[in-house]
Amino acid sequence: MDGNRVLTGTRSFAGRQIVLDHGTGARLSRELVEYVVAVLGDVYIGQMEDSAVLSVAAGQLAMTTDSFVVDPPFFGNGDVGKIAVCGTVNDLAVIGATPKYLTLGMIIEAGLPVAALTRVLESIRETARQAGVLIVAGDTKVVRPGEADQIYLNTTGIGVFERTPLRMTDVRAGDQIVLSGPIGNHTVHLLSVREGLGFESRVSSDCAPLNGLITEAFESVEDGAVRSVRDVTRGGLAAVLHEYAKALGAGLRIDEQALPVDPEVKMACDMLGIDPLNTANEGCVCLFLDPGAVERVLAALHSHPYGRRAVVVGEVADDTESAVRMRDRDGHIRILEELQGAELPRLC
Amino acid sequence: MGKVAVLTNDLQYDLVNKNEERIRAIEEATPSFSRFLNEIRRRGHHVLHLQLVNLPDDPIAERYEGRLPAQRGTQGVEILPVFLDESDILVEKNKDSGFFETDLHERLQSLGVDTVIVTGMQGQICVQTTAADAFFRGYNVWVPSDCVVSARDKDRIRALDWLDGYCATVAESDEILRTLDVEGGLPRKVFVTP
Repeated sequence: MDGNRVLTGTRSFAGRQIVLDHGTGARLSRELVEYVVAVLGDVYIGQMEDSAVLSVAAGQLAMTTDSFVVDPPFFGNGDVGKIAVCGTVNDLAVIGATPKYLTLGMIIEAGLPVAALTRVLESIRETARQAGVLIVAGDTKVVRPGEADQIYLNTTGIGVFERTPLRMTDVRAGDQIVLSGPIGNHTVHLLSVREGLGFESRVSSDCAPLNGLITEAFESVEDGAVRSVRDVTRGGLAAVLHEYAKALGAGLRIDEQALPVDPEVKMACDMLGIDPLNTANEGCVCLFLDPGAVERVLAALHSHPYGRRAVVVGEVADDTESAVRMRDRDGHIRILEELQGAELPRLC
Repeated sequence: MGKVAVLTNDLQYDLVNKNEERIRAIEEATPSFSRFLNEIRRRGHHVLHLQLVNLPDDPIAERYEGRLPAQRGTQGVEILPVFLDESDILVEKNKDSGFFETDLHERLQSLGVDTVIVTGMQGQICVQTTAADAFFRGYNVWVPSDCVVSARDKDRIRALDWLDGYCATVAESDEILRTLDVEGGLPRKVFVTP
């Protein structure tokens, strides 16, 4: 690509808005793509052909895709761009893969200020750098005002395996359940920014690429001791636990007292009438561990910036009832029911 | 002790007139609520009305049967006169908490206020969020239970329990006035983080 042309295009974009003609495939489309490439910088290695050609070692690949429709797309300590990288990187990492490549699809609402697009692209660039992934292909579409909320993203990720892929069904009775960090922060932060609830300056999103953290966990113990890992995203910890209980045909026990929930998050959840167990997160994983590996994995997690508050929250029971039971703060044990649909905030 | 200010939430025509339940709840609260505001003014304290102004391009703002209430320049956005005095201060807000993207904190600081008495409608969310936001910013927060309004009383009671448990001293308005008179201010309750 001609570097001078990119620079000219970058300058000409300053202070502008995205218009429908940026998506028509003509000159303005080309300028938009050139601008995107210029902002992404060295994390973009696409060759502007119809497909990316990648060299990978022989063996298994991990591949995943996710679309990101975030409301609001911009929040206190991040934006949809950061989430779009973290979400896909984390999906690859929890299966045991090393994330390598991402594609980037963007659906942009006409009228979006270029400054907002730039903020998203810069987040993508910085988060991709942090995660050690490269963007190898992309696509942009522009839709009419009202047909999208500012910007929607899709990322597809490819990872390679340097260890045996993890499977849910390798989890066994007696395995310990560990959370890598507090739950609920992302949901409370976004709801607070969206509705002006007053918690946004006290509670930040946990959005983070966790591949480095997960690698630390794997490398702290022998192969197989980390039985399975799942990122605790939409549906929250409760959804993850129900998913495992059903897949394993076994019961899971968790201890409410052990759950890492920040006081402000509990405060907000109580106000909204939602349970932190059902809240979405973007920087928290649930690990199922051989009991003999727990201490070493926890030490590894605690030494990483994203795992300082990792904690054991429960275990896999030796039974065949696919239920999740929680011991509450008073010592009572109750079955954690699976939600039928979204647990909507109680707003006025 | 620093100064005291009362913050009211959403005491506006459109918002009060949304339904019969709200109208009735406001009517029931008005005698003690307006008396409390008058007593606060008489003692030289400030009353600030947090006035919700819905922005036409806000997709989150609640519509009433397709109509956006409380828009700037309409009669529906105005504060009910029974709660208003010419000495009062109006602060426009666009979301639930009165502090969210407003200059409320700066105004309170410039007035030397360290204690806020949070009131208004509805108890759940607007009173709760403004009180929580004030608490996080270091204010001593009080809530007069008879000056908090919800369409459904169970929501009001639940909100008051929440406020009392997390961030505010909840008391009847008469008790707050008595405490002000006797102690010259309102003592700060200590909240212990679990």
